[in-house]
Amino acid sequence: MTKARTDSHFHDAEVLEDLYDSKPRKLGFPVKSPSVPNFHGVLKSNNYNSSVPLFNASAVDRLQADPGYSQGGSSANSLNGDDDANLSVIDMYGGDFDSPRKEQTMKKMDTLASGKGTDHNTDRISSNTVASTIETPIRKNVGSFDRYGFRKQTTYISEGEYDIWWTEYSQYCVRRKGKWELLLEKSGLSYAGDSPTRFPARSEKLKRYVRKGIPAEWRGNAWWYFAKGDEILNKNKGLYDKLLSRIDQIKVQKNREKLYPDLEIIERDLHRTFPDNIHFQRESFQDGESTMIKSLRRVLVAFSLFNPKIGYCQSMNFLSGLLLLFLDEEKAFWMLVIITSRYLPGVHNVNLEGVNVDQGVLMLCVKEYLPEIWSYIKPFYKTQNSNRVTMVSFSSNSSMHSKGTTKNEFLYKLPPVTLCTASWFMSCFVGVTPIETTLRIWDCMFYEESNFLFKASLGILKMSEQTLNKGKLHSTSLNHHNQLRSRKVSQDESDMELFQALQTFPKKLLNPNDLFEKIIFKRRITFNNLDQEEIDRCRKFVKNQRNKYKNYIEAVDSSQYSNGRASKYDDTGHNNGNNTNTFNTSTPISDTMIQDVLSSEGYGFKKGISGVNWNNSIKERVRQIRKRKDKE
Amino acid sequence: MLQFKLVLLGDSSVGKSSIVNRFVKDSFEDLRESTIGAAFLSQTIKLNDNGKEVIVKFEIWDTAGQERYKSLAPMYYRNANAALVVYDITELDSLNKAKTWVEELKNKVGDDNIVIYLVGNKLDVCEKDSSKRLVSLEGAKEYAKEQGLLFIETSAKTGANIKETFQEIGEKLYDIKKTEVNTDLDGNTGEIEISKPSTNDTTSCCS
Ligand SMILES: Nc1nc2c(ncn2[C@@H]2O[C@H](COP(=O)(O)OP(=O)(O)OP(=O)(O)O)[C@@H](O)[C@H]2O)c(=O)[nH]1
Ligand SMILES: [Mg+2]
Repeated sequence: MTKARTDSHFHDAEVLEDLYDSKPRKLGFPVKSPSVPNFHGVLKSNNYNSSVPLFNASAVDRLQADPGYSQGGSSANSLNGDDDANLSVIDMYGGDFDSPRKEQTMKKMDTLASGKGTDHNTDRISSNTVASTIETPIRKNVGSFDRYGFRKQTTYISEGEYDIWWTEYSQYCVRRKGKWELLLEKSGLSYAGDSPTRFPARSEKLKRYVRKGIPAEWRGNAWWYFAKGDEILNKNKGLYDKLLSRIDQIKVQKNREKLYPDLEIIERDLHRTFPDNIHFQRESFQDGESTMIKSLRRVLVAFSLFNPKIGYCQSMNFLSGLLLLFLDEEKAFWMLVIITSRYLPGVHNVNLEGVNVDQGVLMLCVKEYLPEIWSYIKPFYKTQNSNRVTMVSFSSNSSMHSKGTTKNEFLYKLPPVTLCTASWFMSCFVGVTPIETTLRIWDCMFYEESNFLFKASLGILKMSEQTLNKGKLHSTSLNHHNQLRSRKVSQDESDMELFQALQTFPKKLLNPNDLFEKIIFKRRITFNNLDQEEIDRCRKFVKNQRNKYKNYIEAVDSSQYSNGRASKYDDTGHNNGNNTNTFNTSTPISDTMIQDVLSSEGYGFKKGISGVNWNNSIKERVRQIRKRKDKE
Repeated sequence: MLQFKLVLLGDSSVGKSSIVNRFVKDSFEDLRESTIGAAFLSQTIKLNDNGKEVIVKFEIWDTAGQERYKSLAPMYYRNANAALVVYDITELDSLNKAKTWVEELKNKVGDDNIVIYLVGNKLDVCEKDSSKRLVSLEGAKEYAKEQGLLFIETSAKTGANIKETFQEIGEKLYDIKKTEVNTDLDGNTGEIEISKPSTNDTTSCCS
């Protein structure tokens, strides 16, 4: 395909024609695309609607199926290679799955040889696929891609490193799958095909199993089951199809660009979603777009119509992209709905307030559970009329100066480190950590809800502390804290190191078990006690505090304006760095408001297993209860 | 070593990440992942001050271009020494977005010392096919002059004018810093944001 296609943002009519080109229709219903790539090379006919062609969108499969592309040469044996890294999951698990896959492979090879489709279920696309594979082979080295079609090599990890790690991790995966199979057997959950659709009842044991990783080829079903996808789907039967029909209508609408500005933004992001993944790469047959990209477009556009409050937010392309690798299109859509509403409420909204709230929650957690790290990242504000930086308590450079301290200002003026951590939440670690690690986090997110995202974040922060300590940062930073960061430049320098570390460290977390074994499974690590209730309470608290500050700052602003002074605060409330003493000289706004802001208690985490909130009032109550008990 | 904070702003997909990547790694990818939130990178350059070599380290924040990320932007341009406001010369609307960024920077940062560079990217596309150009060189130049901005057209793909742009920013900031230090010596305690040489001087005190 020509370069023009990538760059065309909705302008040329010809492109518009097939923008929303959906699959061939049957009985007037759009057929969901075969979006689930067959990364493990199993026939899915048992679990999938028969309209789904066998093609399974797997470029990897095609690569593997064509002897011409395998490194080893032309014999069928070379398909299975001798390098573990090249094996599909199924190859590794062996057993019953082995033969159908080989059969399929052989069948495809026959097809390739004879040059015509043998599959009666195939629609236009799959036969095209087969045909075009011959005409325009993708000359890529299969060994360079992982089992999901992602390029193994990244900026921070070489293919060799990946392969060495994978030899071991793949065996771990095989062992875990064995355990899962036993567990399911014991629970009386038999299943046909390659993946169960029902899983055992929730238990500590199951939670542990999930934390150790759901078998890759079960992930789609397991996520769907744990996130209660059926509940939402059954309540909304047919809705996705309706949305697709609306997309068709919009396609022919006149000034759609004006009416649906999200469409263009989605369009720009489609090809910038996993460009390193085989399934998302341009195919040279058809109109140059992979099936996956088409599914991605439909899911994103349908979502933007479904939830106009969110519309489209960059990062949702990665969420949907990953979902599409494991679930069919309709389910991927509903999972996106679930993620954006249940796990990450408000995070993708137009004002992104949910991100700020979650960053506030994370900062509270860091302050509570990782005080060492907090000492690096808590914000420092410059005092004015001075080229030195002093460590000042938050309040001392605002109007609250003389009125005492406030504990929670950092929830409003978030520390700069949140510039890095915000994307961890927006994309649920997609693109933040290497894919296998991300998937393990997703396993837990769907089983344990959003509190796990905070645990994972705290875990990563804790682990990166070692990197920080190794580097210069430790010495300089500790110095700073003893010496109260004497100069701005040193602060900038340590900030830079911090950002650098926080950005690169997660990208090197190739082995998920580093995170899980060193952090998540360790009982003595206190933040592992965080539960969903705590996170929900914390979110509420932060939301409240942010509102208070916002109102307060706005009130201050307007009184500033009436004094003929412009505010030094920007509208998001982030201290823009040159706030001056203006507040001190202004007429105070209502005392109650100041009082309200100042009197805010710090957030009280419940401690240990007792589940008691140790903020002052509760402490008092406990004391009274104890007294009473003592008397009895 | 001098250290400057630099932020890239501009509409989604105009090529901010590609520009930074060309500058930092001297590479270009036809398909680059869209940026979520922001990415942090750093790179050093050398300047020549009358034969004396000066090393400048850039702390670069590459932000996400989508409109809604704008609410996070103040965190990024806070204390920035320079801003690259990027638009795509093949997208008319991206210049309008760039203009709103310029306005916001002028209103919110309010620091005369922030160097704003207006950058028209994807020059290579128009060199190949001049009909692709939707933002005229003259128009953009005129606007930049009006607003007192530095201006250039670049291509992250070919690398045209990328290094030069950062080099010029480095020089400009160095000059500003020098005059600042001078006024400082005159007893004026103007803020020296940037880059006194880093020392672990524990005697410097804090008020
Ligand atoms: N031909 C050409 N294409 C470019 C150039 N710069 C960027 N691109 C392409 O334009 C697309 C967008 O570039 P990005 O660097 O991702 O854009 P961005 O401004 O970072 O976008 P966001 O991260 O969404 O804000 C990519 O596909 C790039 O390959 C250029 O100079 N010439
Ligand atoms: Mg970018």
